Amino acid sequence: MTHAPEKIAICANGISASIGKHPILHGITLDVAAGRWTSIVGPNGAGKSTLLRALAGLLPCTGSVHLLGRPLAGWHRSDRARALSWLGQNEVAADDLLVYDVAMLGRLPHQPWLSPPSDADHDAVEQALRATRAWDWRQRALGQLSGGERQRVLLARALAVQAQVLLMDEPLANLDPPHQADWLLLVRELVAQGKTVVSVLHEVSFALQADDVAIIAAGRLRHHGAAQDAATHRALEHVFDDRIAIHAVEGQWLAMPRLLPRREPASH
Amino acid sequence: MKPTPVRRILWVVAIVVALGLLMAALARAQSLPTPPIVNGPPALAVQMTDDRGRVITLPRPPQRIVSLLPSLTETVCALDQCHRLVGVDRYSNWPETVTRLPQVGGGLDPNIEAIVALRPDVVLMATSSRALARLESLGVAVVALEPRSHADVQRVIGKLGQVLAVPDAQRVWRHIDAAVEAAAQSVPPAARGVRVYFEVNRGPYGAGASSFIGETLTRLGARNILPASLGPFPKLNPEFVVRADPDLIMVGARSMEGLTERPGWSNMRAVREQRLCVFPPEEADVLVRPGPRMAEGARIMARCLASKAAGNAGNAGKAGNAAKAPVAVRP
Amino acid sequence: MIGTVAQRGRWLAGLLLLASALLVPLGTGVGSVGLENLWPALWGDGTDPAARAMAWQIVWDIRLPRTLGAWCAGALLGLAGAVAQGLFRNPLADPYLLGSASGASLGVATALALMGGGAGMVGSAGGSAAAMVFSGHWLVRLGLTGAAFAGAVLAVLLTLALARGVQHTLRLLLAGVIVGVVLGAFTSLILLLSPDSLQAMQAFLLGSTGFVGWTSCVLMAGVWLLCVVAAWALSRVLDGLALGESTAHSLGLPLAPLRAALVAVLALATGTAVAQTGLIAFVGLAAPHLVRAVVKVPHGRLMGLASLMGAVLLAGADLLARGLIAPQELPVGVLTAVLGGGYLLWLMHRRTGPGGVL
Repeated sequence: MTHAPEKIAICANGISASIGKHPILHGITLDVAAGRWTSIVGPNGAGKSTLLRALAGLLPCTGSVHLLGRPLAGWHRSDRARALSWLGQNEVAADDLLVYDVAMLGRLPHQPWLSPPSDADHDAVEQALRATRAWDWRQRALGQLSGGERQRVLLARALAVQAQVLLMDEPLANLDPPHQADWLLLVRELVAQGKTVVSVLHEVSFALQADDVAIIAAGRLRHHGAAQDAATHRALEHVFDDRIAIHAVEGQWLAMPRLLPRREPASH
Repeated sequence: MKPTPVRRILWVVAIVVALGLLMAALARAQSLPTPPIVNGPPALAVQMTDDRGRVITLPRPPQRIVSLLPSLTETVCALDQCHRLVGVDRYSNWPETVTRLPQVGGGLDPNIEAIVALRPDVVLMATSSRALARLESLGVAVVALEPRSHADVQRVIGKLGQVLAVPDAQRVWRHIDAAVEAAAQSVPPAARGVRVYFEVNRGPYGAGASSFIGETLTRLGARNILPASLGPFPKLNPEFVVRADPDLIMVGARSMEGLTERPGWSNMRAVREQRLCVFPPEEADVLVRPGPRMAEGARIMARCLASKAAGNAGNAGKAGNAAKAPVAVRP
Repeated sequence: MIGTVAQRGRWLAGLLLLASALLVPLGTGVGSVGLENLWPALWGDGTDPAARAMAWQIVWDIRLPRTLGAWCAGALLGLAGAVAQGLFRNPLADPYLLGSASGASLGVATALALMGGGAGMVGSAGGSAAAMVFSGHWLVRLGLTGAAFAGAVLAVLLTLALARGVQHTLRLLLAGVIVGVVLGAFTSLILLLSPDSLQAMQAFLLGSTGFVGWTSCVLMAGVWLLCVVAAWALSRVLDGLALGESTAHSLGLPLAPLRAALVAVLALATGTAVAQTGLIAFVGLAAPHLVRAVVKVPHGRLMGLASLMGAVLLAGADLLARGLIAPQELPVGVLTAVLGGGYLLWLMHRRTGPGGVL
């Protein structure tokens, strides 16, 4: 799938990465369009999170990654932090910080060293916390919240950066359906503002809500296309060994498990 | 809105710096005035070199002495200057009068304030202690002496004699020497050349030939299973003692517990034949202090040699008290 | 609503400063001689000048620097504890994690062995040999405090070398444990070779504020100022790290140099405190927890508050150590464990919910 160069938010050129001695990604080339929501899906252990980390520059890899047209290595640290926001999985140990302070950490790329938060920082934090409906308990400690509440606070932190590109790894973890719906609407709004969102989601139905879908299996890119396309749907069903079936329900695509007796997976 | 923390930090820094300067200035201003010279016979300044190689000068012979090492306490009293002691450490317990003096902590962790409150003219202590530096920085005169061998004891007696301005301090040494000689004479010829193991402490730490205990044993005509090359108080592998197979074992009652349960020890010749001298705590105290009571110590060891080495099967000595902390090597 | 947390923080700081201001004069009254005995000597008209000078010396040259020294050492340890817990993202971290305790012990054991055991190690009797060893050796000139400090800093450097940098927290932790154990073994070896140092070593290990004079006090205060400002400036790294290493990296924080700087602050603060007062346990571990139990603040404020809390804890423990069984003294490490540990136990007991760290 090709786009005009200035329309590409992040692109990966032939990146390969290993964790320890075990190779995870094998020469992936992926162009993520700007101003769209791209969803990365694939079976367990396919390398989705690794790919996202490589795109964020968190993992050493061979090949090159370009952010907004420039090589990632050429970006200055703080410029990159302002342009790219990352939300990871299962990393936090900040049980003693208040919700407000956690969200304020998202403004670090914008704050000069040793200076207190400015009005713009407070506004951004308030906006982010309201967007994830966490404003009401901004004085509570992170450790006192449930899993879903904590996830919303971390999401607010990622939003507070007000970056052009957002990379999110399993952003829906622990969220209940209403808040999952909130997140969807939020992402749609961000995209409408011209931002780029890349998410790794294991819930295929949510992934199909995106604009584009990139399918990763066994460290290789299998398919990259619009979420509405039938070709994408067939590729998805194939990569999951035909154990799901994608149907249209009330204007949205839904992936439902196909409860057939197990048969041998087709060779790739 | 939130105030700029930078200004607050500057305030805190300014206050703390001001306090610091104040403290430093005042520290420099304070110093102990020299004690006034009392009218009377012209005082003779005392000057000597202590075991650190430092030259100590006192304006007159010290009248108020604090001693932090039991052997030094005993030496002061042996020089008939007990009345000049105003404070001792908690381990000094001889002679009896000394136990009534204020105790200012241990030799290595003395109570600095208590020492200063006694207004001593000089403090006698061992060489390796942090308290030394602290006391000197407070203006207290400190003489560091540490006897470890017979030659050391003789030297320390001489130095203390210098500090206290006592004529003929060496008579104390001559007395010790004579007593050791007499003790050596009292050892029967059958007991000469007996191979002895002297255990000082649970560890086990033994007294080697180069320690003061070992030197006394040598003068008494006994042989030490621990050669001088091991050092004065080596920590041993108990197996070494089994292999060396001493004829006689000398040990304090506190370290006696568990001795015979050590692997291989119950079969040692000395243990089987009960050739064990177990010293009660009072005698053990005498034996491990390199001071004037070495004379007494020599007599105790000679008695032990005479009774056990000659093959008399005696009892294993009086039962000791409940074990307290093991007796230190040079308390 | 935000004002509440900031207000609580300010209240806590004010309370701790007030407690410090109270402890200092109290500290001049506690010791082997009660203030009621010293007072007439200090201010009475009929006292002879020598007695007055002695009383002044006790209050000014001994008790005051000792109390202030305990305050400064506690401040250093509290700060180091907060830095360690932030750096390792582990609430059980204490300032001695990188091997500084064992390094300081090794330094002290070496110095003691060279100073006192010269005769022992060489195997020859004779004061002249010992005197030659002592006056010549540079380690002796450095003194026990210098040796302890040098040992602590060298141990941390060794840990850094073993872990090959500060990048991996887990590797750093492991290296610290290894260095601690190995240096501890060397210390035991040295003590075996010169058993005379055993008691002096134990005194060091128990920790004591008894030998702190004005110079030590001012030195510790200076180092504390330096460290607290540096830690405050570096605190945003700790905040970022609390969100996870990848998030911290994505926020544009230069992790490697800043972590190295934090380790340097940790080593400096711990080394200075240990060199002056020996190994006092628990202050570094407990102080940040005690602060967080009252008010939840990001690391910038935590550094200052943890310092103050540690200072008050140690100064209070020192006061009790001197005063409980006067004229005898308890080891101050016992009291810090009782005070700090007791309060933490009570906190744990009180919190039945999943709130907070404990």
